[in-house]
Amino acid sequence: MIGRTPRASATAVVTAAALVLAGCAGGGLQQSSGAAAGGGSLAQKVDLTGQSYTVGSKDFDEQLVLCEMTVAVLESVKATVTPKCNIGGTEATRNALLGGQIDMYWDYTGTAQVTFLGGKPIQDARQQYDTVKSADLAKNQIEWLAPSAFNNTYAFAVSEAKAQELNLNSDSDMAAYYAKGGTGTTCVESEYLVRDDGLPGFQKTYGFQLPGGQPTVLETGAVYQATADPTKCLFGEVFTTDGRIPALKLRVLKDDKTYHPLYNAALTVRKPVFDKNPAIADAFAPVAAALTDEEMLKLNGQKSSDNVPQRKVARDWLIAKGFIGADQN
Amino acid sequence: MTVPTTATPVAAPAAARRSLPRRSRALLVTPTIVVVTVGLVIVWIRSQDFTAPGRAPEGRALDLGGLLASFGEHVYLVAISTLVVVAISIPLGILLSRPSAGRLGDAVLAFGGFMQALPPFGVIIIMAFSPLGFGAPSAIVALVIASFLPVLTNTVVGLRQVDASYIEAARGMGMSAGMTLRLVELPLAVPVMVAGIRVALVLNVGTATLATFIGAGGLGTPLLSMLKLGRTDAAFAVAALVAALALFVDWLAAVAEQVVRGSGG
Repeated sequence: MIGRTPRASATAVVTAAALVLAGCAGGGLQQSSGAAAGGGSLAQKVDLTGQSYTVGSKDFDEQLVLCEMTVAVLESVKATVTPKCNIGGTEATRNALLGGQIDMYWDYTGTAQVTFLGGKPIQDARQQYDTVKSADLAKNQIEWLAPSAFNNTYAFAVSEAKAQELNLNSDSDMAAYYAKGGTGTTCVESEYLVRDDGLPGFQKTYGFQLPGGQPTVLETGAVYQATADPTKCLFGEVFTTDGRIPALKLRVLKDDKTYHPLYNAALTVRKPVFDKNPAIADAFAPVAAALTDEEMLKLNGQKSSDNVPQRKVARDWLIAKGFIGADQN
Repeated sequence: MTVPTTATPVAAPAAARRSLPRRSRALLVTPTIVVVTVGLVIVWIRSQDFTAPGRAPEGRALDLGGLLASFGEHVYLVAISTLVVVAISIPLGILLSRPSAGRLGDAVLAFGGFMQALPPFGVIIIMAFSPLGFGAPSAIVALVIASFLPVLTNTVVGLRQVDASYIEAARGMGMSAGMTLRLVELPLAVPVMVAGIRVALVLNVGTATLATFIGAGGLGTPLLSMLKLGRTDAAFAVAALVAALALFVDWLAAVAEQVVRGSGG
């Protein structure tokens, strides 16, 4: 998805520290290559000894977790890794990939289909992934590894208590609420206000019009906090896998007319890098499949709400799933 | 004269010391720049084809009606917050400049320095979660916190710098303390005080772009959406409007200063 508000600089410092740590760990593992062999399930199938990769990411929490996860997975299959997580927004990160400053990062099928390839969103996850995969390879020499199960897209959320009271489950319920003259406030961030897959099309698809003076435009992070208090924002525009959703007890409304594009994530790799050893795809396929909406929500929540360092979030999860060995923490 | 390091007075504009005709001519430069800038932005917007693939978001953000509404919200935020700043800071500055206030003035100015050092982005978000809630009132409070110091400092410093012999002469002529303040001290302090107000105005125009974070609108809304979507041209166009507004309000204050000085002198 296109650029989200970067976290405070404190996070940047933490990230920088994590990068340094990750870098050290990578070097250490290289020297003791054989030691981790018994480790995780990935190392038993894939061996990328002798390969070296530079891994990047965009600048929001989910990307930072995915970046650390990629570093850990590659280390577990004995590759040498240079982490360059937290590069910036979508444009900056994608340009770093195309320009060869990084070899890979996770991007979203919806973003690629609309922003990179100039197409219309496809409302079928598999079909959109296949379209993006073949087009991006042909046009830009970018390989898309297996897609994640999770879909991090836009949605509207309501506080759980209020959702029960008003019986709100889907975006059609939201439209009906306003059609009946409801006056609760809808809050969005400034980008959603003008995006092609944003509010104008949403109101059109669901056939309703917000009352005059609405929506209220807020800072991206403030939308979550404000939606927890229905008197401030009854409906808040959120990202479906944001960790603050469970933490603030929000209910995500179902997009029952599938208006919002699908944003499944996949590791995008430069073709020359991929061709050096295509077995890299086998290392990430099981990981991507295990990353469901629930798992990603949980991981993002650990990072954004509980402030666990992304390196620990990523590695603890990989170890718990048996993908990497416990000695790689 | 004691001036805390955190609150250096802003120098009165050099123009204030020049002769009137030259100053009047200088006052024509800014409106010219403002009109040309706004004109160029509008011409550029109208020349763009927002129906081209992928450009619809820019079309929505740069819709002239919408921009005008955002502009109105921006002017409202700047106007109200500056009025509040003047209403608080000038009386407070006068009180603190009285000899009876003693060292209290320095303490208050130091506190003002602390308040201004708070990052406006943080203050504006915190205000939104105060009882004031989201919207313009919170934004105005945040703007006042961010901009009251220059006006306060310059009022205190402007009054303190008035030559003691003028005050003694006025008192010797039989003027009361209030008359001395009104007829001697304030007129002499006006250039320094207005310089402070001009700084506050320009600060407020810039800081008001943050109001979009808490639902108070303003030109920050189209600016931020274009920045987030990586539409540099469009973001630049909106930023140019903000800059033009800053220049314009600064110019208005300069004109007001001339009027005040003219009638007072």
